[in-house]
Amino acid sequence: MTPTSRFRKDRARLTAVALTAGALVLSACSGGGGGGGGGGKSQGPGEDKTTSANYSIGTKADSAGPAPEVPGAKKGGTVGVLQRDAFNHLDPGQIYYIDVLTNQLLYNRTLTAYKFDDKGRGKVVGDLATDAGTASDGGKTWTFTLKDGLKFEDGSPITSQDVRWGIERLYASYQSDGPLYIPQWLSGDGNDFRKALPDGPYDGKHLPSSVLDTPNDKTIVFHFRQPHADAPFATAMPNVAPVKAEKDTKQKYDNAPFSSGPYKVGDYKVGKSLTLVRNEHWDPRTDPIRHQYADRFDISFGHQYADSTRRFLADQGSDKTTLSFSNAVAPEMTEKVLNQADTKGRRLLEVQPYVDYISFNTDRLKDVRVRKALAYAIPNGQILQQNGGATAGVIATNFLSPAMDGYRPTDPFDKKAKPAGDPEKAKALLKEAGKLGQEIVYAYANTDVQQKVSVVVTQALERAGFTVQKKEVDSNTWRTAIADVKNKFDIYRTSWGADWPVSSTVVPPLYDGRQIADGAQNYGHLDNARVNADIDRINAIPDVKQAAPEWQKLADRVLTDDVPGVPVFYNRQFSLWGSGLGGVKYHPVYGSVDPTGVFVK
Amino acid sequence: MTAFLSVRDLSVRFATEDGVVRAVDGLSFDVERGRTLGIVGESGSGKSVTNLSVLGLHDPRTTEIEGRILLDGQDLTTAPESVLEKLRGNRMAMIFQDSLTALSPYYTVGRQIAEPFRKHTGASRREARLRAIEMLRKVGIPNPALRVDDYPHQFSGGMRQRAMIAMALVCDPELLIADEPTTALDVTVQAQILDLLKDLQQQTGSAIVLITHDLGVVAGTADDVLVMYAGRAVERGTAREVLRSPRHPYTWGLLGSMPRLTSPVDEPLTPIPGSPPSLLDPPPGCPFHPRCAYVDRVGGDRCRTERPEPPEGRGAACHLPDGAGRGRTR
Amino acid sequence: MLRFLARRTLGALVIILLISAITFFLFFALPSEPALMSCGKNCTADSLAVINKNLGLDQPVPVQYWHYMAGIFTGREFSAGHCPAPCFGYSFANQQPVWDTIVDRFPTTLSIALGGAVVFLVVGVGVGMLAAAFRGTWIDKLFSSLSLLGNALQIYFVGVLALAVLVSGLHWMDNPAYHPITEDPVKWFTGMLIPWLVLSVIFIAGYSRMTRSLMIEQLSEDHVRTARAKGLGRSAVFFRYAWRGALAPIVTIFGIDLGSLFSGAIITEFTFSLHGLGRLAVSSVTGTDLPMLMAVMLVGCTAIVLANIVVDAAYALIDPRVRLA
Repeated sequence: MTPTSRFRKDRARLTAVALTAGALVLSACSGGGGGGGGGGKSQGPGEDKTTSANYSIGTKADSAGPAPEVPGAKKGGTVGVLQRDAFNHLDPGQIYYIDVLTNQLLYNRTLTAYKFDDKGRGKVVGDLATDAGTASDGGKTWTFTLKDGLKFEDGSPITSQDVRWGIERLYASYQSDGPLYIPQWLSGDGNDFRKALPDGPYDGKHLPSSVLDTPNDKTIVFHFRQPHADAPFATAMPNVAPVKAEKDTKQKYDNAPFSSGPYKVGDYKVGKSLTLVRNEHWDPRTDPIRHQYADRFDISFGHQYADSTRRFLADQGSDKTTLSFSNAVAPEMTEKVLNQADTKGRRLLEVQPYVDYISFNTDRLKDVRVRKALAYAIPNGQILQQNGGATAGVIATNFLSPAMDGYRPTDPFDKKAKPAGDPEKAKALLKEAGKLGQEIVYAYANTDVQQKVSVVVTQALERAGFTVQKKEVDSNTWRTAIADVKNKFDIYRTSWGADWPVSSTVVPPLYDGRQIADGAQNYGHLDNARVNADIDRINAIPDVKQAAPEWQKLADRVLTDDVPGVPVFYNRQFSLWGSGLGGVKYHPVYGSVDPTGVFVK
Repeated sequence: MTAFLSVRDLSVRFATEDGVVRAVDGLSFDVERGRTLGIVGESGSGKSVTNLSVLGLHDPRTTEIEGRILLDGQDLTTAPESVLEKLRGNRMAMIFQDSLTALSPYYTVGRQIAEPFRKHTGASRREARLRAIEMLRKVGIPNPALRVDDYPHQFSGGMRQRAMIAMALVCDPELLIADEPTTALDVTVQAQILDLLKDLQQQTGSAIVLITHDLGVVAGTADDVLVMYAGRAVERGTAREVLRSPRHPYTWGLLGSMPRLTSPVDEPLTPIPGSPPSLLDPPPGCPFHPRCAYVDRVGGDRCRTERPEPPEGRGAACHLPDGAGRGRTR
Repeated sequence: MLRFLARRTLGALVIILLISAITFFLFFALPSEPALMSCGKNCTADSLAVINKNLGLDQPVPVQYWHYMAGIFTGREFSAGHCPAPCFGYSFANQQPVWDTIVDRFPTTLSIALGGAVVFLVVGVGVGMLAAAFRGTWIDKLFSSLSLLGNALQIYFVGVLALAVLVSGLHWMDNPAYHPITEDPVKWFTGMLIPWLVLSVIFIAGYSRMTRSLMIEQLSEDHVRTARAKGLGRSAVFFRYAWRGALAPIVTIFGIDLGSLFSGAIITEFTFSLHGLGRLAVSSVTGTDLPMLMAVMLVGCTAIVLANIVVDAAYALIDPRVRLA
């Protein structure tokens, strides 16, 4: 995900709002949010899985339906879903956040999809397509063939024209919230691609067949401008999906998407609740990943983490058959969950593809020894503690998340052994550079957690021989402030989540010097010709499996040689659900609870 | 044979946050049927407290009452609340000073008059209403059948006071206590109200206790007079006696501070210097001595040390020899 | 009385109109680019222009205001579709007429407010009267301490405690939830019971203290003494005279409280995962959904102004001195 997707996770606190001339003062206070302070102590919860993820491209056989039966699964029943935030979108074109990404799995089928075995190994397989696509023209052209028997919720067949429509509507100006890889690869960077098809397909125009071709009802061909070895990952994004032209109500499609998956929208009260019911026209024989065990999903919004955790813990009545896609265990209830024996079989604690960093502004901190000293001094363990401790994350040792393909647990700054930082080493480096007492302008957002973090960071830096000047920034303007290339800060917290588990979605945006711009994500402003050249070299490798270790090597070299920041911790998802549900598993790419195989016991 | 209302050695003490207030101290008086006793004194002299004690309207948790109050031979100080409830508004009634606050703003005048009548006689709503109209007519309210449905704030001050009298008299009480009934009214209305009280007394033969700080009111209305100071009786006698030949320096002062229509307009009033003593910590000896101009006429330090005996019958609680001040009246 | 009501209603309309104008100009005039709020993160100048045009934001603010107000009575046409009267605009966030959402949320708020108000009014005033009647005794002292305690408590604390004990611990009650009273009155009642009780805790403290001091004040009033002098019994004096006098201020405060409850009980809604106007207000603020926020505020203001009229009418019924004024 882009950093903005992290925004919702962090939005733990609602602002107090005053309405009308003094007559009513409304104030609100939500429970502890994701990464909220306090709570879980760092004693080992015993579910510490930091093993590397392993992804591969699936075969035709892997792509064929039906999905392997979940042991013990039964048909029937209603699954309740408690979510804190209301869904911001149902339109697959607009979906980007963790909760709606997870939700769309139930009603939206994509060209390709992720399939996980019970050991957590992932494959990209064909979902609508018979396989994960065939590359030609040096990786610039990708061809997908649709399976037989694909149907929309009204029983009409899904054709390649429907997929084309789904992609072409992304060119319309109202489509603003979704990931834009495919249209950008096809038609132009940034927002330039929209010029290729203003207003999308709505006034009868289509992309030329030299860009996007549907030679027959079963085949769709993408002609990208550059080679993209990871195209099968990009086509697993929710907006590479079929949309039936006559059902496309543009903005209003957000309230009533037309289903291609095992469930369809039954009743939707925006901001309040969503009921998904069985889609009778979905054929399990065409679907390699989804099941249709439960009769329906009753999703309701507005459940603070404390509320959902309390219900799961109490585990009674209809709460027994209830889960949450993305609500974490409330930090203040972590201990209780870990200590209550009956939660063992109905909880998960997994690493998410999100990493928290502290970026160093290389424009201001030009001496690499100073940056190295900072990297040694930053107290990863204490920062994680302020973010919720062991159930909220794992100390990060390098730039790439364990959720990424090809991850290796390199640790150049010795973070595992010295979670509180290494002030001696830092001081020695400063002395060597003749910069003892170096002033550091440290910016942080004025949220509860970041204010607490600022205390431990300041202490650690001062112990290492820095002079710290704290700059508190309003959390509403925080992102704009640090994404300003000419910002007057030396260090600041940043974060990044990968859109798919291939590091081509991490290293280039974060460390490519040609991508430095206001609002872009190269927060350290690193512009190293050698790094840039390496990025181009690895991007050109046609096989993602071969590229993966190269990305790790490059990321490690950037971390050790250039030090444009230091990774602090890898986020974790700590989930709990009712005892009456089976088949609940983790979705490593989305970092949430995967509902596709859930059944009522 | 005791009088209709007989108060004997009455003491009333209030517990306040600052200490115990001796509001009334060893007070005795009698009122016969058909007669009017005027109780005179400055505010805080204990007049109102005395009469609230008669009706038993003090808060029993903070008030301590000693002595006896006999109404037609029945001791009210020991009577249970249920007995008092039956007497109040029925055999004994009270007219309060400020009719604006003493009448409830939330109910019609008629309803407030009819209420005690229904309660004590068991009359129906209709009968009580007719009685209220009759009472309003009796106290001289024009158009009583219409005004019966008015609210107190729709009445003028004099009319309200009449309504209050009507309310007090609705059950033909044998004892009527009128606490400053005319203070808030202008002079002509004052006279009308006092005449009305007298007329009504002649019709019903009730005993009246008239509380006032105004000796002029007493002069025209009362048969007997009791002058109170600092919770004690300082002088008593018939109205004629007290007004013609007052014996207590305090009474002299009251008379001196009373404006008289017969006085030359340029003659200045001579108010009593000083202010009433604190009842929390009353002065030793005669409570009036700090304000008394005649302390030195009494031999020794008696005024400052020795408490004068309360008057029995005609007399004054004063160490001055009788008649010493006779010449002060005008 | 009718003239009184007519006059007050007219005045209220003027006030609501003024408030609507002020909020409208504040919202639509101050942030330089309201369209930005509904433009999403891949926003371009072109899409901004389209949104501005679709929402009529390219017109002068007074014209926009006129369309907005007219739309409430006649409905409006948007690119997203027809918005039937009463049209408060289309939500930036969910592409639906704002009014539909308001109508969906208001019954929840109404249930919370009315039910809670009944509980805290009855219990609060009752406790206050008991304390006044037994002033200085252990009953009074007990209630006074409880009310101090209640005053110190916060809804989210009591709420979480109530959920943990009554629902999760003892299993006496269901999770709070809103069910329309028209569909299932029993479920409506049981689902709302905890929110009512918890919402009441805070109010009860205030109402009991207010009632107690008002009653004590009234009991020392002259007209109450007069009532006693007339020979009326203790309870007649207490209820007919003292309570009647204490009623007017209680009703006034109650009206104001009820009015603000109608515009949403945010903390209660968040604590119990309910969807009323309070949550709607918060989500429209955090999501900068201006049309929704505008409508929620108008509804809130109208509720408060209406509550004030009702209070005034009730005041006139209680106190005859006000009737002619």
